[in-house]
Amino acid sequence: MHNERSLTLAWLVLLGLTLIGGVVGNTGSPGLWVTVAVAAMMAFKGRVVIDHFLELGGAHPSIRRLVRFYAVALPVMLILTDLFGPQIAWLTTL
Amino acid sequence: MSIGIATFSAPPAPVLGRIPGNKAIWVGIYCELTEFALMFLVYFLARAHHPEAFRDGPQQLSTVAGVTNTVIMLTSSYFVARGVMAMRRNARGTCLKWLTAALFTGIGYPLVKFFEVQWNVAHGLSGNGEVFQMAYYYLTFNHLVHVCWGLLGLLWVMARTWMGAYDATDHDGLEAFACYWHATDLIWLMIFPLFYVLP
Repeated sequence: MHNERSLTLAWLVLLGLTLIGGVVGNTGSPGLWVTVAVAAMMAFKGRVVIDHFLELGGAHPSIRRLVRFYAVALPVMLILTDLFGPQIAWLTTL
Repeated sequence: MSIGIATFSAPPAPVLGRIPGNKAIWVGIYCELTEFALMFLVYFLARAHHPEAFRDGPQQLSTVAGVTNTVIMLTSSYFVARGVMAMRRNARGTCLKWLTAALFTGIGYPLVKFFEVQWNVAHGLSGNGEVFQMAYYYLTFNHLVHVCWGLLGLLWVMARTWMGAYDATDHDGLEAFACYWHATDLIWLMIFPLFYVLP
């Protein structure tokens, strides 16, 4: 029962954050701090799915670490792209 | 819970170091994560090269469609997780009800996608070579394919549950499907903010 309550709460939190994301998408203006906030929300939602839906807390380390890394690496890459976009573009121009 | 959320705690792990589902599904999930990692890399490079297109892009999309599909994915995932929990109690009938709810919720995803594409075309987003549109169609259509595979997998585990193939001590197949479905949900949670939220 504790697990079911915890899972339901996780689901409701994810739904709430999704609705907040929708509001940001409609009303937010571009800026580094908005990008950082969106990236933090991505990482948090990813971690909640990994811990509560996938239940990887006690899984084999190679599975747990890789999936957790995935949900952190993408938001970090998003921030880096907005911070160093011109440099990344210069480095990847043929 | 190490993430520091005081409001709810992570579920206790049944066996430390276990492989959820089976090894085969994790090979598939690793492939799925790698495939999308490459597409995300293309997204970030395109964003670095064309910041204006990616700044203006999300305003062209239907936020309602993006939010609706996120709610659908999260809810269907939640229903599948409840189904697995029911099977752990050997409540096969309850498990089947949760899986049925997950199927009907999940079918909403391709339906919303269909109407979203109609809306896009009506508003001039036909994927005609503009870099944001190309990235958007490429990533979201690939994800749609994975969702459709997942829905077929869901039908399969529903049939197996109905036939009595799983019980509280042996339901690796059901758990393997659940892992795939949650991983597909996880990828959508990465796609959604990149295309629909970021201003």
